Amino acid sequence: MTAVDTGQPPVATPTSWTARLRDRISHIVPPGQALPDRQPAYMSSWIYVFGVLTLAALFVVIATGALLALGGVTWWHVSSLGRFVNSLHLWSVELFFAFMVVHLWGMFWMAAWRGNRALTWMTGVVAFLGSIGTAFTGYLSQANFASQWISTQAKDGLNSVGIGAFFNVLNPAQMLLWHVMLLPLVLGVIVVLHVVLVRRHGIVPPVDAHEETAS
Amino acid sequence: MVLIADGAGRYISSGVIQISVTNLAIIVLMILVFVLAVVLPFPGRHHDDSSDRDS
Repeated sequence: MTAVDTGQPPVATPTSWTARLRDRISHIVPPGQALPDRQPAYMSSWIYVFGVLTLAALFVVIATGALLALGGVTWWHVSSLGRFVNSLHLWSVELFFAFMVVHLWGMFWMAAWRGNRALTWMTGVVAFLGSIGTAFTGYLSQANFASQWISTQAKDGLNSVGIGAFFNVLNPAQMLLWHVMLLPLVLGVIVVLHVVLVRRHGIVPPVDAHEETAS
Repeated sequence: MVLIADGAGRYISSGVIQISVTNLAIIVLMILVFVLAVVLPFPGRHHDDSSDRDS
């Protein structure tokens, strides 16, 4: 890309990488669908609420997890504020999974992979499995007797399938790094992809409803 | 050991299936929430026109 002062607003040529990237980003979702303010009538159902409830719970999980990372183990075990944030982290995870499973049931019985939404469904499946791994490493990172018990119960099963060679549940530092770094990063990308795909293909209609492309 | 076992809560066993009363209650509650989410009407829902996108 070259910068030339012509006195006119800069116009990127179609061959520039910035123009191509901008064009690509602007076509990720249909116009007006990134943050829509209108939705199809069939979305007026409580079952459609559980997706965004899951997102809201995930937001609290990440926020409280960041606070726990700032405070450290002693803080979340000893101080009253640390214990409170620790409890918020736990219960937001519980709600996250409860909302996600109800969302999963709703989408499964709605056959939500219809209408070219297979990738949306599969990213949801991967996000669900990734969430289980993230929660599991979280239980291993509590630094208490529960995490010791869980790790010693889990090691034999994981070792028997060869996972223990690179994923050692008896190594608290490794589990903590998986929990606060690797898995949240992967999960965050998958969740963003899932939401973008939902916006790209639209909310799946009930089985007996007509597909609506606009909203 | 008895004290530790007592603290683990009550369990329901049926053949190879064993589940704590707490976990069973949570599963039943989630199924109840799912059923209610399906059957309860959403506030402000319009039933007269399925193509109405203003609801």
